[in-house]
Amino acid sequence: MSFEDEMRSAMATFVVEARELLQDMETGLLGLENDTDPEEAIGAIFRAAHTIKGSSGLFGLDHLVRFTHVLESVLDRLRNDEIAVSPELVGALLPCCDHLGRLMSAVEEGRLDEDPALAAEGVALHARLEPYLTDAAAPAPADDAPAPADTTTADAADTAAGQGAMHLSLRFGVDCLRSGMDPLSFIRYLSTLGEIRDVRVLDGLFPDAAAFDPESSYLDFEVTLETTADVASVSDVFEFVREDSEITVLAAGSPAADYATLVTGSGELAGAVAEVLVTSGALTPRALEEALAQAGSAVEVTGTAPAAPAAAAPAPDTQTPAAAAPAAVAGVPAQSRTGGTAAAQPPATAAKTVSAAAKTPAAKTAAPAGGQAAAGAAREARSIRVDALRLDRLIDVVGELVIAGAGAGLHATTNGDETLLASISELMRLVEEVRDSALQLRMVPIGTTFSRFQRVVRDVSADLGKDIALVISGGETEVDKALVEQIGDPLMHLVRNSMDHGIESAEVRAERGKPARGTLRLNAYHDSGSIVIEVTDDGGGIDPEKVLAKAVERGLVEAGASLSEQDIYQLIFEAGFSTAAQVSDLSGRGVGMDVVKRNVTALRGMIEVESKVGVGCTMRIRLPLTLAIIDGFLVGVGSASYVVPLDRVIECVELPPNSDLRDCMDLRGEVLPFIRLRSLFGIDGERPRRENVVVVEYAGMKVGLVVDALVGEFQTVIKPLGMLFGHVNGIGGATILGNGDVALIIDVSMLVRHYGERQAERDLVVAR
Amino acid sequence: MGKTILVVDDSASVRQVVGLALRGAGYDVIEGVDGVDALSKLDGRKVHLIISDVNMPRMDGITFVKETKKLAAYKFTPIIMLTTESADGKKAEGQAAGAKAWVVKPFQPAQMLAAVSKLILP
Repeated sequence: MSFEDEMRSAMATFVVEARELLQDMETGLLGLENDTDPEEAIGAIFRAAHTIKGSSGLFGLDHLVRFTHVLESVLDRLRNDEIAVSPELVGALLPCCDHLGRLMSAVEEGRLDEDPALAAEGVALHARLEPYLTDAAAPAPADDAPAPADTTTADAADTAAGQGAMHLSLRFGVDCLRSGMDPLSFIRYLSTLGEIRDVRVLDGLFPDAAAFDPESSYLDFEVTLETTADVASVSDVFEFVREDSEITVLAAGSPAADYATLVTGSGELAGAVAEVLVTSGALTPRALEEALAQAGSAVEVTGTAPAAPAAAAPAPDTQTPAAAAPAAVAGVPAQSRTGGTAAAQPPATAAKTVSAAAKTPAAKTAAPAGGQAAAGAAREARSIRVDALRLDRLIDVVGELVIAGAGAGLHATTNGDETLLASISELMRLVEEVRDSALQLRMVPIGTTFSRFQRVVRDVSADLGKDIALVISGGETEVDKALVEQIGDPLMHLVRNSMDHGIESAEVRAERGKPARGTLRLNAYHDSGSIVIEVTDDGGGIDPEKVLAKAVERGLVEAGASLSEQDIYQLIFEAGFSTAAQVSDLSGRGVGMDVVKRNVTALRGMIEVESKVGVGCTMRIRLPLTLAIIDGFLVGVGSASYVVPLDRVIECVELPPNSDLRDCMDLRGEVLPFIRLRSLFGIDGERPRRENVVVVEYAGMKVGLVVDALVGEFQTVIKPLGMLFGHVNGIGGATILGNGDVALIIDVSMLVRHYGERQAERDLVVAR
Repeated sequence: MGKTILVVDDSASVRQVVGLALRGAGYDVIEGVDGVDALSKLDGRKVHLIISDVNMPRMDGITFVKETKKLAAYKFTPIIMLTTESADGKKAEGQAAGAKAWVVKPFQPAQMLAAVSKLILP
């Protein structure tokens, strides 16, 4: 992968990550108001903003950084209890999440520069956050305020740069090695800024062998650097060690007094430093001598006050005890003239070690972030992200494996080879396990989908002026990922519909003696091979009579038709039942209830309605657990094979003789209507002497399917039918049998629903 | 053999970009998603430098630095903290814990490389 490709891939990671973080942020914000102990949630929200900002900076997305910075500042104040959680604050922060989402979409589409429209939106959002920021603190980013010492010396350097070599005096803290700071590494890095002319090692502080600590740093360095860089950038090289060390950077042509200060500040190393300065040509011996004489008096006059021109060295550098200074000043000029060393100098004070130790702050106990262990993040550590396409490919191959296994099983049975049969059955057991595990990979808890509705309910109830609480249960119910993705839209419509048309206004609720606050429930659970998702409201319910009247008016049913209550409810899902004129702008976003029904049906599911006028309504979506593989029951009609989903099969019975002209039979005293697959699918050929009935059930209704032969259970890998056959009623897909033949999968729900129509057809066929 | 750098951040994109920049400069990079995970990577192998975020779930950067300093094999390993300008307190805490170097978030990959090369050779 080229660098550009890698960056692109990293950017894609960033977008995915940011979206997840935004989701966390939104969930966190929505929970804030009800949270009794919001500290953890606030920490998570802050971290989300913080991470987005950090990553945006990496990609050079400055507008995102700017926007998130303000958000982060507000959240930081919230985290530090400087401001309190309030509905207004949450209300101001939520749109920021949305805005970030839009910014991310722009990034995803490759627009890395700021969109003017979005920028204006961002400014407006910032204005809403303004009250939550302190007057001065927020708009001042830290890079406006570098260490003041650097600025002053930088000015001096600008005039002096380029006129000669810079002089650096490096007194590394005695503990620097223990912090992993290697003096040599810094000196080497200096060479990236210019040419190092000279490095002198001063070992004057090297202790006796007895006192020597191998982990401590004793060496000091005087470096002459030829560079065009200014003093500030050179002293920045040492920013990591500045705190515990004494680093002095003097630009070429600095005033002699600055050199004098360096020398006087060097304690027992003063003589050596003076010598290096002279020999490196930084200044003449006479100039230094004069400056030292002057500095000497200056030190005496100002006492322990820090000397102002101490270049980039931090203030503590000048903490040389006043008493020691004159002595050093007195001794140095003589030595530098005679070329002597500082070795004879009596140790005045152990200046270096003292200052280093004194500056090391007492170890503060950092509050451990134990409480931050957000479950989601912990999950990340244990999980990996896999491309959905790879997963689909795996499921596909496992499907083929199941078919191949079934084929092998068939051959073994035909050959009657006992040992082969035994090993095939063991193989099939394993294949089934692999199949289950593979399918499990695609299962995700539906809770994530549900929690998205917190926001929807909040926003929509605000728009409608209704007070509505959302109660979520069964969020841990696992559903096939493909299903989750496709159920979002229908669910959204049902939720909006319930809020819009179901839950009454506060006045009406008061009249009916209901609590002012409406409740909307989202629930999910597994029920005999299906997943059930319920949207329940405690609103006015659906009035069957009104629905029927309207359906008649729209010409959907004949006037005077007698329909069961359930049939009437189903009418609301008919295309043309509601028209734009009656749909409020909320629910009427181009998706009618008929589309909801179509979406659910496309997922091999169905919707049931349970309603009680004045009490409330439940929309119950029933979906298959997975879309890929089902346990089937293989039956034969003539030369054709069909698969009935096993979870629909109740039992199998023999068709009573003399049933030719009937369309129902007596099942232990119960009337069982049946459908003849032979007639339904128009299969020719002789009917066998004995026919069988597969009793299937769907949504509480039992129907018999008349077939020739019962073959048995069969692992069915669903191969969707092509576009051309998409609208064939009663067929849910196809599968390949072990022997290579194709079998159609019967869509029981469709068959049961269209059973009336089919019956009419069957009558026609029989009459012919 | 390049020198090995452990990059600890809960953000996958940060790890990816920092890793990309460091690998490009000739370093070997290993990753940790939080303090706990990062500590498990300090299993005796040679690590020449650690780059760690401060704000992380499970174990934050400060605690991670303290734990690292307790390990004999890594107590001299330089550590770069990823701090934010708004968190001077965190920076001081990090330094007290033993992470003397820092890079202020948000940063460009080049800034990170500069900080790293001050501390170790590629």
